[in-house]
Parts: sequence; C-alpha cells; structure tokens
Amino acid sequence: MPTIFQVGAGSGGMVVLDLLCREPSIRRIVLVEPDVYKSHNVHRHYFGHNDVGQRKADLAVRWLRQFRPDLEVTTLAVDLMDRERQPQIETAVAGCDLGVCAVDVEPAKYHFDALMRKHQKPWTLGEVLSGGIGGWVHVFRPGEACYGCVASHLQRTISTDNSPSPDYANPGAAVAETTVPASKAAVATIAGLHTTVTLGLLAGTDPGFTSWLLPLAKVDGVFAEALRPFRFRIPRSPECLICGAQPGPAGEDLDVALDQALARLGHE
Amino acid sequence: MGLLDTEGGKRRLLCVEIPAIERYNEGRDPDFKVQVVRGGSALTLRYRLKPCHNVYQLETRLHSGYPTVPPETRVITPLRHCPHLLEGQTLCLWRQGSTRDASRWDPAKFTCIFAIQAAWRWLACYEIWHETGEWPLPEAK
Repeated sequence: MPTIFQVGAGSGGMVVLDLLCREPSIRRIVLVEPDVYKSHNVHRHYFGHNDVGQRKADLAVRWLRQFRPDLEVTTLAVDLMDRERQPQIETAVAGCDLGVCAVDVEPAKYHFDALMRKHQKPWTLGEVLSGGIGGWVHVFRPGEACYGCVASHLQRTISTDNSPSPDYANPGAAVAETTVPASKAAVATIAGLHTTVTLGLLAGTDPGFTSWLLPLAKVDGVFAEALRPFRFRIPRSPECLICGAQPGPAGEDLDVALDQALARLGHE
Repeated sequence: MGLLDTEGGKRRLLCVEIPAIERYNEGRDPDFKVQVVRGGSALTLRYRLKPCHNVYQLETRLHSGYPTVPPETRVITPLRHCPHLLEGQTLCLWRQGSTRDASRWDPAKFTCIFAIQAAWRWLACYEIWHETGEWPLPEAK
C-alpha cells in the first residue's frame, strides 16, 4: 500500500498531487502545506476566487475527494522546518514509501533531504526555472548523491539563468531579485514529468539519472534549443559537507564537546 | 533550522566548522584570530582583517539555518558608502535569498572560513575602489 509524503501543494505541487492520486495504486498521502490560498494563486491553480482565504491543504483534500473517496489523506498544515513539529513530521516520513518535494525554497529542500536520508527513503524533486524556460526533475535514493551533492555539482557545471544581477551598485539598498513567474503550461509540464518519474521510482524502475533538465524554450546564452532534454548522473561526493561522514560523539557527549570547543574559541 | 539545537547542526559545528576555525587560528597573531560568540540560536565570529593598508573589524553571523542559509558578514569599522555594501554595512557576497543557480554560496563545499576569505577579498576590492573609484571584480557587477 504505497504511501507518499509530499511537501508543497502550490501551482506545481498540486499538479503532482492530482496526477499521483489518479493512480489507484497510491493508497495513502501525507501532505505538508502550511500556506493559505491567495488571490494571486488563482490564475495558476486549480481553485477559484471563492476559495481565497482557505488553507491550501484543505482545498487539496477537497479536490482529491472528488475522484478518490477511498484515498487516505493526512494533512499537516505546518512549516516543514518548524522545530516544534519535527516529531510529527518525522513520524510521517518514517511511515512513507517515497517523498515528493514540491517546494522552491532552498533551505526547505536541504531539510527535506535530511529527513529522507535519516529515514532511508527515496524521493523526487521538481523545479521550474524562472520564467518557465524549463525545469528539472531530480531523483534521490538512499546511499546515493544527496541534494547537497547535486546542487553543488549543478551550481558549478551548468547555468540555467542569464537574468541580470540585482543593482548592487546602489549603496545601502539591497534591490530584490526579480523572479519571472512561469506559465501554467510550463509548471504543468515539469510537474507531469516529475509525477511520471515518481511513479516509475515507486514501481522500482531505475530512471538512469539523478537530474534531468528539460528546456522549454530557446534562450540565448542558456538553451540552444527547446525540448532537447539533458540527463545527469551525479555521483555522491565523498567531500560533501552535507552527507559526508562526520564521525564524532553523539547525544550528551556531543553537547559537552561542543560547549568545550565554543568556550575555547570564545577566549581566543 | 537547527545549528545549535539539532544533532546534525551540532555535528556540523563540532566536526567541520570548529576544526576549520582552529586551523585558521593556528599560529596567527592573537589580534587576528577568530573569536566565537554564542547568542541564542546563532553564532557570531568576530575577527579583524588587514587586506592591504587598513585593519577592519568584522562579524560573520551563522544563523540558525546555517549552512543552508548563507552566513552574513558585516564590517564594524565605519566604511564609505560603496557598491556591494548593503544595509548595516553588510557585505554583498552570495546574493542572499537567491536561487541555487544564482547563489555563490555552496553549503556542501564551504565552511565559515570561506566567508572570512570572501570578506578579505571584498575588503581588498573596497580599498582599490577607494583609490580608483572602480570596483575591480567584473563578475560582481
């Protein structure tokens, strides 16, 4: 009875959730989504203006119930990184077969990765590039490259962003970066591929990659042509500071050793 | 989340960051060693740098979310308003809050000592800018 642990029911996450739950083999979903549905969500989401103000988690359940009344859905309307809710989140992760990450905040991706590694669960991640010019689907399996290994490798080897830097020459003013919203079509395309890869992984298929990039548009200096995919098989990095072995004390011994080290450096 | 309140965060500090700071401090003039101050759920590194002519007092703050949240460095010594200097004399080093593709911070490879080295480079640029009016690193423009 496959159980999915999904974080995120935004414009992409909701498509993944919808498509996954169309599969009768999926019997149980745990959905983590703390956000409230806002008016700016309407044009790229499943719900209308009348639903503004409701929790996205509740709207997602209502949607799924229309065609899967048999589906067991548990919602956690909490922030994945909320310290107080970690025991609840960890229990949910421990009981799942596979994780689906549909968030676009970097620290949340690292936290999701840490949870999945701790509980030895495979997981997938979908990412839509700014402006909807393409997107990534990543696959993570226990013992293989972690999100840190993959992000570090990709940061150095491939550029998918040629947007100009913010105006740092303006003293005293941090100018916010502009992220161009992707079209609903771009979001749905990447989310559909994310779902396909997730279902394959659940069925025990080796996708043959860790990261798969699909350009959806020809962009000067970034993608020479549209719709020609790129596959990357990124190995686990022995030097990775995220998943690499860091032998040392545990529990109370760790606290004591850390206190001593900080006291030592406090008096340097 | 969790630099000082999770097993993973504490282990990263004890096994990665603190040894790196100790290696940095080893044999260094006492005035230029890094001091670590604990404050709530964050750590602050206090140190001095002398990239060229002047000595600067700095602080690098490792927030609770470090290392996935990049460290934040500010210069305590008063500076002239210049490019790549944010509010509170915070140095613009990694495009904080940006996407994976745009960010220069890599939590899988960098330790807090990299942040100190980056601050040294920033201050060297500042001194050149002070003399010439030109920020010397084109990739930062």
